[in-house]
Amino acid sequence: MRWFARRLGFYVFAIWIALTVNFLLPRLMPGDPIAGVLQHLSSAQIAANPGIIKTYQALLGGGHHSIWADYVTYLGRIAHLNFGVSTSNYPTPVSEVIGRTLPYSIFLVGVGFILSFAIGIAIGMVAAWRRGGFTDSVVVPAFMMIGAFPAFFLALLGLYFLGLKAGWFPIQHAYANDIVPGFSWAFVSSAFRHSQLPIITIIAAYAGGWVLNMRTVMINTISEEYVAMAHAKGLRDRRVMTRYAGRNAILPPLNGFAALFASAVGGLVFVEYIFSYPGVGFTLQQAVLGNDYPLAQAILVVLSVCVIVANLIMDVLNFVLDPRLRNS
Amino acid sequence: MAQLDPTAIDLRFTGARGGLARLGRIRVPGWLALLLRNPKSRTGLLIVGFMILIAVIAPLIAVAHPNDFNLLAAKQAPSWHHLFGTTDQGSDVFSQVVVGARRSLLLGAMAGAIATALAAVLGITAAYAGGIVDEVINVLTNVFLTIPPIPLLVVASAYLKARGMVTMAMVIALVLWAFEARILRGQALSLKSRDFVLAAKSAGESTPRIVFGELMPNMISRIAAAFVLVFYIALLVDAGLEFLGLGDMSATSWGVTVYWAQVNSTVLQGEWWPFIFPSLALGITVLGLVLILAGIDEVSNPRLRTERVSRKRRLAVLFAGRAAA
Repeated sequence: MRWFARRLGFYVFAIWIALTVNFLLPRLMPGDPIAGVLQHLSSAQIAANPGIIKTYQALLGGGHHSIWADYVTYLGRIAHLNFGVSTSNYPTPVSEVIGRTLPYSIFLVGVGFILSFAIGIAIGMVAAWRRGGFTDSVVVPAFMMIGAFPAFFLALLGLYFLGLKAGWFPIQHAYANDIVPGFSWAFVSSAFRHSQLPIITIIAAYAGGWVLNMRTVMINTISEEYVAMAHAKGLRDRRVMTRYAGRNAILPPLNGFAALFASAVGGLVFVEYIFSYPGVGFTLQQAVLGNDYPLAQAILVVLSVCVIVANLIMDVLNFVLDPRLRNS
Repeated sequence: MAQLDPTAIDLRFTGARGGLARLGRIRVPGWLALLLRNPKSRTGLLIVGFMILIAVIAPLIAVAHPNDFNLLAAKQAPSWHHLFGTTDQGSDVFSQVVVGARRSLLLGAMAGAIATALAAVLGITAAYAGGIVDEVINVLTNVFLTIPPIPLLVVASAYLKARGMVTMAMVIALVLWAFEARILRGQALSLKSRDFVLAAKSAGESTPRIVFGELMPNMISRIAAAFVLVFYIALLVDAGLEFLGLGDMSATSWGVTVYWAQVNSTVLQGEWWPFIFPSLALGITVLGLVLILAGIDEVSNPRLRTERVSRKRRLAVLFAGRAAA
């Protein structure tokens, strides 16, 4: 339990640092970001939103207040999820833009990443178990090669060959244009269909890392005495692979899950951009090119928090799977 | 867990002697001979060497200035005249890829070098000093690992007005140092209680002197491996930022070529060449670097070498080993 309290304390600290980095970033960079933002609003629009300039100044700097006063206002606004108005989606507040786009991203990266983990772990396990077999000598190098290519390239390849040439998948947006989002069968099936190609891209880009990681750990696990013992007991080969070697070998890759998740969130930006998928990654790219700094800053905060939450979930899972942690 | 890390190697303990070794008639450094003997790192070294060669001789083999445009020759598929085809504006893609190799490789190497220097100093100091210094650096490293690097870089480079090569390399390095620092810290921890460090300590050497004079020289092969790792990540990250339109868009590099292909939606028009060739160049370079790392890994951990061993034989060896022990 003490271990858990320590982790929790660390995450609170990490969120605070992430917020502070976010606060300092626009202030440390040269230039005057707030002027760039206000350019996009007319004076009537500014007048219609009292307090908007103060919010922007707290987020981006450039006001006449001391940096400490700004910092306090900044933390207060964030605690109330008040990130101001998104200039590129005027008059929608930033929090509403994120609320609309985040579910798509969580779905995409959640499903894609968990599938890539499951597939990668299974392939890595089998490759190590049958050294020099088909999986080890063909599938593993193939994944290694695919993993070397940038995520945007895999997405473009998928778009061109599977979407455009073969016509197997829709290539843009999250659902068909003539459907209104809601809990209808038409929407859910359309959204599922449109998410397939982006998810395949994410799997292709990230499964390779798990394959190599799992294979390496598994090779070392196989020579442990309890594996030899399980063989000697006469257990079936498959059972020794999954229940004895595999179950123990999965812990180190699981520990790396959180760190790789942070990089997969980056890959999401490319995948969503290429497929014009309306998640936070695509929104971030659009916001940045349109000088909508309040939106971009808020997305960075939200993504950092998402990574930390994923870390927390992994810790709980680790706690359940690893008796050494539970008993210490 | 050190042996599971692709960078956890120390070639000095794996049979590579200092000085020169013979490879046919040519005398090469011991570590290079060792890497050339492993098929994976040999292939990797060949690929990366080839790419560097292309970058060096780029002006000689580029058929046109990469930004020369000719609307009459636009959107041409690869042919003998334009080996990699032409862009929407009629620029020669082959020339862009060849000349772009210079900026891409240089920027990646620069970012990798800065990140490695930062990580080596911080990680090794943390491991050696221990106590509060270690706590602070370690927590800082772990916090940086929870901030997603690509979104952070996207936002940071959005504020930059001038995105020159040095600026971009520094920004990328500042975001990527953390995970390298964690690796090097772990490796320095296993080294810090060795006799030579204790000897230096009892001789009254200062902390900086032990970190720079004793630990670092002895970790040089591990630091080099960590550099290869960040080098390829920096290559991917830099190309990715350029692809999103967040680099120096007037320069010639692999990422910029793909950016223009995307902006002009050439893919949707069925033109595959402006995005496939520069991405392939990038991917093959990264593959080369990954292979070098995999080779280093196998050299340092013989268990990982691929060999066909039947289950029965492996068990026999295993039990024989137990019986002997």
